Amino acid sequence: MKQMLARGAESVIYKIDQWGFPFVLKWRQEKPYLLKDIDSQLRRSRTSRECKMLTISRTLGVPTPAVYSVDLDNHTILMDFIAGTQFKQLAGQLSQSTLISLCHRFGRLIALLHAGDVVHGDPTTSNVIVDEKSRLWIVDFGLSEMNATIEMKGVDLHLIHRALETTHWDIQEDMLDATLEGYVDLLGNTAEPTLSRMNEIRERGRYH
Amino acid sequence: MTLYCLGIEGTAHSFGAGVVTSEGKVLSNEWDMLKPTQGGIHPREASRHHSELGPKIIKEAVQKAGIDFGKVSLIAFSRGPGLGPCLRTTATIARTLSLKLEVPLVDVNHCVAHIEIGCLESKFSDPVTVYVSGGNTQIIAFAGGRFRTFGETLDIAIGNMLDVLGRELGMDFPGGPLIEKHAKNGENYHNLPYSVKGMDLSYSGMLTAAKRLHSEGVPTADICFSVQETSFGMLAEVAERAIAHTKKNELLLTGGVARNNRLTEILSGVAKRHEAAFHRVSPSLAGDQGAMIAWNGILQYNSGHQIKIEDSHVLPKWRTDDQDILWRFPS
Repeated sequence: MKQMLARGAESVIYKIDQWGFPFVLKWRQEKPYLLKDIDSQLRRSRTSRECKMLTISRTLGVPTPAVYSVDLDNHTILMDFIAGTQFKQLAGQLSQSTLISLCHRFGRLIALLHAGDVVHGDPTTSNVIVDEKSRLWIVDFGLSEMNATIEMKGVDLHLIHRALETTHWDIQEDMLDATLEGYVDLLGNTAEPTLSRMNEIRERGRYH
Repeated sequence: MTLYCLGIEGTAHSFGAGVVTSEGKVLSNEWDMLKPTQGGIHPREASRHHSELGPKIIKEAVQKAGIDFGKVSLIAFSRGPGLGPCLRTTATIARTLSLKLEVPLVDVNHCVAHIEIGCLESKFSDPVTVYVSGGNTQIIAFAGGRFRTFGETLDIAIGNMLDVLGRELGMDFPGGPLIEKHAKNGENYHNLPYSVKGMDLSYSGMLTAAKRLHSEGVPTADICFSVQETSFGMLAEVAERAIAHTKKNELLLTGGVARNNRLTEILSGVAKRHEAAFHRVSPSLAGDQGAMIAWNGILQYNSGHQIKIEDSHVLPKWRTDDQDILWRFPS
């Protein structure tokens, strides 16, 4: 049984049942409008990167779906199905205190990645799943990178800021404050260079 | 009663004036672009260009619209974002006209105007907009009463990257159209940094790498081909992320770089994959020009907004999402 869950920007997500368990099959489809060289290289490298980074991130203490198999020729990954809701869909319906607490934990998870010199690359609230026990899972590691510099971590935080201001505009201040608090909570003083880099990055690409 | 809005644009190297009616009819749209003989755009030279040619362009716009100055019901001007000296020259012209003609003054956000003129032409109601020009690279969509920037360049604009590369390859300004021409003869793809971060992107690394290819003797056509495919592929990806994220079903391409046919082809492919309608704004309305300022002026004025002369200082860093969009229903 194969059920399409979502058509994302770069992949199609299916839920499949096998051996009596639910799994997610993530398939990076061909994009006929891109140059073939670019498309096949991206699909291949991101599939392989995602597998690797899902596992590395888990060793850093960040809950991620376990990978069961990968097919680099068909660009598919078979992984755990996480029963839950995207944080993006949930954020607007939560009580203030629950929202703050979830954001705080989101910030801590990003900090765990950064402490291990890993950046997520696309840390939006669409890529955070809240399960029925209110645990947070981070997914979609196709843009994730290792050996991250302060610049890369600053970009990661900038992207969180960006995601909150475009998607959760009415509660963005509370969410950003709580997320960054969780981040600093875990990293302490070592968070400072990354935080100031985040603000610096925000000012780039603009007229002066 | 039909309103006639005279819109004045001058945020960067182009100065434009256009007349648009409250029915959305573009009666005239005149502009002139400063073409430096060498190097890039100097803000001071651009502002001098505007002050020298501005009055003539405005007169032509009014004449070609088939009206006289007495018929102008309001003046709209590009208040920002843009280069300070250019904005100040433009604003001074607009204020003077408003006082002299005794008509209201409306301050328009340049980026928002690009979207709204695109919506007027395409009849789109709520698109994801890819706005690409010499100074801007933004993916914008309407949410919560404002146009929000879902993604943008983290360093240089795509048009700027193409122009600088063109200069490096010995082309005249603007390099973009010439790069498109050469790219058609490209045969070999060379790997270039593909830099997408979330819905943001970065072009400075690609520029450096492309310059290196040039110094290594790679044929110009292959460089142009590789740069176009990579930089437009990145835009396709962020546009796709924005569509998937917002679930909107219209994709609008605007700004000076919208003139590029390969970019248009790629983005229409993106729209097709997501079953969204696609529109590329026609060349005369895609670049920087006065008609878009005039049309936005009408929209703003009809929703009850105008500005006093004493409050009309320019805003060089005016963010797209800094303005409440009074004329659209909050989604």
